[in-house]
Amino acid sequence: MPRPDRKTITFSIDGREVEAPEGTMLVDAAKLGDVEIPVFCYEPKLGAPVGACRMCLVEIEGIPKLQAGCATPVKDGMVVHTQTDKVRAAQNSVVEFLLVNHPLDCPVCDKGGECPLQDITFGWGRGRSRVVEPKRHFEKPLALSPLIAIDRERCILCYRCVRFSQEVSEDYQLVLQERGSESFVATFDGHPYVAPFSGNIIELCPVGALTSQPYRFRARPWDIEQSGSVCNLCPGQCNVSYTVRDDRVLRVLARDHHEVDDGWLCDRGRFAYQAMHVDERITAPMVRDGGVLREVTWERALEEAAKALGRAKGAVGAIAGGSTTNEEGFLLQRLVRETLGSPHVDSRASGALPIGLHAALSAPATQATVPDVEFAHAVLVLDTELVDDMPILDLRVRKGVRRNRVKLAVATSRPSSLDANAKAVARFAPGAGEAFVAALEAAIAGSPIGELAAAAGAEEDAVTAVADLLREAGEDVVIVWGERLTHGPRAVQAAQALLKVSSRLNPNPHPGAGLLEVPAGANARGLREVGVLPGIGPGLTEAAPGLDTPGIAAAAANGELPALYFLHTDPLRDLPDRATWQRALDRASTVIAHGAFLTEGLREFATVVFPTEAPAAKEGTLTHTDGRLQRMRQAIGHPGDSRSEWQVLAELSKRLGDDLQLFTAPMVYAQVVDSVPFYAGISLDDIGGVGVRWPAREAASAWPAGESAPVGLEAPAAAASPNGKLRVGTFRSVWAAPEVEASPALKFLAPKQRAELAPSDAARLGIGHGEHVLVGGVPAVAHLRTGTPEGTVFLEEGIEAAPAAAITDPLAEVTKA
Amino acid sequence: MSTPHLLFKDIDEPGLDTLDVYVKRGGYDNLKKALTMPPEAVVEELKASGIRGRGGAGFQMGTKLSFLPKGTMDKYVVCNADESEPGTFKDRELMQKIPHLLIEGILIAGYAAQATKSFIFIRGEYDQQASILEAAVAEAKAAGYIGENILGSGHSQDMWVHRGAGAYICGEETGLLDSLEGRRGNPRLKPPFPANQGLYQGPTLINNVETLSTAPLIIGMGGAEYAKLGAENSTGTKLVSVSGNVKNPGNFEIELGMKSRDIIEGLAGGVPDGRQVKFWFPGGSSSPVLLPEDLDLTYDFDTMAKAGSMLGSGAIIVVDDSNKVVDVALKLAKFYKHESCGKCSPCREGTNWTVKMLQRIDAGVATPMDLDILASVQDQIMGNCLCVLGDAMAMPLSSMVKKFREEFEEHIELARARNPYGDEDAGQAEPPIEIAAA
Repeated sequence: MPRPDRKTITFSIDGREVEAPEGTMLVDAAKLGDVEIPVFCYEPKLGAPVGACRMCLVEIEGIPKLQAGCATPVKDGMVVHTQTDKVRAAQNSVVEFLLVNHPLDCPVCDKGGECPLQDITFGWGRGRSRVVEPKRHFEKPLALSPLIAIDRERCILCYRCVRFSQEVSEDYQLVLQERGSESFVATFDGHPYVAPFSGNIIELCPVGALTSQPYRFRARPWDIEQSGSVCNLCPGQCNVSYTVRDDRVLRVLARDHHEVDDGWLCDRGRFAYQAMHVDERITAPMVRDGGVLREVTWERALEEAAKALGRAKGAVGAIAGGSTTNEEGFLLQRLVRETLGSPHVDSRASGALPIGLHAALSAPATQATVPDVEFAHAVLVLDTELVDDMPILDLRVRKGVRRNRVKLAVATSRPSSLDANAKAVARFAPGAGEAFVAALEAAIAGSPIGELAAAAGAEEDAVTAVADLLREAGEDVVIVWGERLTHGPRAVQAAQALLKVSSRLNPNPHPGAGLLEVPAGANARGLREVGVLPGIGPGLTEAAPGLDTPGIAAAAANGELPALYFLHTDPLRDLPDRATWQRALDRASTVIAHGAFLTEGLREFATVVFPTEAPAAKEGTLTHTDGRLQRMRQAIGHPGDSRSEWQVLAELSKRLGDDLQLFTAPMVYAQVVDSVPFYAGISLDDIGGVGVRWPAREAASAWPAGESAPVGLEAPAAAASPNGKLRVGTFRSVWAAPEVEASPALKFLAPKQRAELAPSDAARLGIGHGEHVLVGGVPAVAHLRTGTPEGTVFLEEGIEAAPAAAITDPLAEVTKA
Repeated sequence: MSTPHLLFKDIDEPGLDTLDVYVKRGGYDNLKKALTMPPEAVVEELKASGIRGRGGAGFQMGTKLSFLPKGTMDKYVVCNADESEPGTFKDRELMQKIPHLLIEGILIAGYAAQATKSFIFIRGEYDQQASILEAAVAEAKAAGYIGENILGSGHSQDMWVHRGAGAYICGEETGLLDSLEGRRGNPRLKPPFPANQGLYQGPTLINNVETLSTAPLIIGMGGAEYAKLGAENSTGTKLVSVSGNVKNPGNFEIELGMKSRDIIEGLAGGVPDGRQVKFWFPGGSSSPVLLPEDLDLTYDFDTMAKAGSMLGSGAIIVVDDSNKVVDVALKLAKFYKHESCGKCSPCREGTNWTVKMLQRIDAGVATPMDLDILASVQDQIMGNCLCVLGDAMAMPLSSMVKKFREEFEEHIELARARNPYGDEDAGQAEPPIEIAAA
């Protein structure tokens, strides 16, 4: 549904004439006139108001009874009073009622000092209690989950947490049990409330009933400072606020940004801050000495690294991981390309597409934004599981479907958690994305699709249903596609097919429709734009051709690349084709890595390790997948004599004879802007706290022309036929990350390898749910899931103990272990 | 005054709950008549009758019907058979003895509203009545009164009987709708009103059993004719359920405008010999109490409202001088505390607090000053809640404290004298209420 058009009206509140958009709820409109109406249950992020707490009662002329300001839309000419005796009596009453059962244990409550109940009691209460009766008692505190403590005595039953669970994250776990004054919040089945977004209820709670287990009793509001930044753990790039006490991050809160995160955070973003302050974290540089990594001085580490890189000169391969900032990526490619004269840099798992395709896939004209997902006529989620790949977008899709009746189509290999919300669902064989998109394109064009659908391992009817839905929904169609689609040997054809689908659905590019990529790395788009791709320099310009990621692996394995440089990535953990990488790391004489933890590749093979700054210690910019430049701001200092990573990269250039004259992070940013024409004119101040979408600026005209979609498509390669074995698909869980394993609070969520099987396949193979199996030699626990397409087994990526990347064949044998 | 029988005409005729007997005495003729009229004319007829909702709120049925938007969207008729107001048992008798009259009424209302789906939400405790209704619906379906193209008129309407799980709040129309949709029965915010956005977001007509059962009679005799019965603004006949301290409790059909004394002392036989009426609830336990001197008021919507009470569901509860007002108040408050859904703060906490205060009064650990708090808490509840449940306790309680303040004070003093050491648990008239949800 397109965004509603709202005209401005004028109403009067407490004698002031105030202008507000028509239909705004009174409590929001009042703010425009600097009038505060107190609320507890009202939270527009949760959807339609419920009017439960009755705190917002106001007097409206012409209506005899007091009205709930949270649920009354303003109308032109409305006359509202919030300061009359009648209103004040009602406010006093509600505060008194809410405190009838509240324990008033503020001195020992985490919320004390930042508690809406305290504030409103102080501002709108009578100031004196008439209650002498005993209050209700519950056992407390109880663990609602390992992350959340619940104190039911403090609860004022505002329904916010329950509404979040029921209507926003749609995990349907939280409910109110019993009734009346005996009601209490609980999970439906009494199990712990474990869900990807559970932590949001802590922030929603207007009292101290839901508190964060890791934060409990760690600080009072007057001990702490808030410091805004951007989360760099996934492409969602949610805006966060770090709670800092004594130079340590103690908590992460959402910093509402409607265009990015809608004010929510996933639990990884909220709780993984703990990994910034654990002992396992690398905080000093290390050098391999006598086969063992030892902490050394910065001088020695830099010298060793510079010497080794100098020896290798033109034969250095460098790969940047997704959390790399624009500045770091830019300096890395300068170091490797200019200083060392080696063209081998990449930031994608499968190498670059031709410039023209990259340009077309992210062209400003067809670039959909995050809020577009909420207001489109239809959304296609293609080859990505949002809750894992970009969690916050999952909530946005749900919101669009629930509140704006967006028609959703899901096309993935693995069953998606969004299937239940979708009007059309199609499955295709893992790795057959290209064939599927080609089939979809043919279906939209009305051509026969039999062969293409068969090649994709998809059901013809399902493809047609998706095509019909997209074609008939309306003019605003957003395609949310996973970068995974353009991995693999026929990435170019897949990208071309996708562009063709896009141009068929949106023949006239316009705002509100288009493509929205879900990249594999948090800053994948920024890294592409600052030139961390083989053969593509900053600003998507031609550069000397170089090896891509698989090429670097192969060349190093053959002994052709003596030096490898990894910025925030461990190839054994993050990249496919583990066997080749093992050989490559073994053969390379120099392996320099920036890392936060000694994961397998670093532990076993790195010769020099530089510490990765904690996200809260980092200064730099990121580019969101919809083109928004955002700033990470430093909230805490570097431990000891640690240096920023951009300083390490600049220092290496300097020691190798290229003094870049960089002394501050903003100076690096200035160089980035100078080299990327479409970033021109965007200062750090412009980016500020909310970011700037460069595709919406004039300089976007400097974006290179995209390759127009080809007229005909080659016949796509057919998906491997299972033939007794099973097709292997992989996915990366939101919890498969080193920072999850390192955070004490989140550790319990770190996944173990599991093999998702269709029950029919499992029955054929004689495998039961929960049994240990080997999938192509990789140990896993069988997990029978009814939605899994027959003939396919899914493994999780990024699990060090049982790496799915060890399997390179599209088919594997599944046997009992 | 005469008491013409419309609803209760030969109500005890054997087999009247079967289709055969019902049809034999002219049943479903009024449906046939309605189906020959345009739907708008049916609405007009109901409007002309002036019939006001018999469930408690007393909103004109025809007006409510006309609020439903025109159009081809899915529309619903829901019959509120969750008769849960204490003292009310009139719908029970109707459903048990003449279920087809209700079904016919729902069909007529459905035709007038152009609704294609209808539900009867019956309280879970009415097991026998639900079974009777289910059987009657099945009979009517088999006979072609319910289903596709009813009697060749082109109007299609289906009907389901849905049993509630036992909650007073599900008698509140939006709580009923939530429950019917399979959710926790909590009232919704209004507006939107059910007529615009009710069941499954569709326009919905919700009426009480008695109201819907009257619809066929109105169609039969004509709206204008029906409007001649009763009093001004309170047309027609009404079933009243008289209970409490009377010799002859039960359901009576009266013409509205009858003198209250004639109902209580005439039809219901009055209080037992040697007793005096102490106070009476004119419209269910949620109506403010009236005193013996109010017995000469006529029993209709406007007079009751003018006297500071309400006609409500037409349930008259008579309390004689053998009862202590504090006992009645506590019993009442406990009921509403137990039935409060907990969604909005004033009702949830107010009913809870009120019970605790009354228990303290009864236990002898209160002072007369607590009466002021008790009264003020009732004032704080009234008008501030999401639905009317909070008011349903606050209004009668408030009236009791106001009209029997001296007795309250005396009760406090006597209880204090019995409990000189202020033991919180002492002297309770009865153990705390524990009603298992049925």
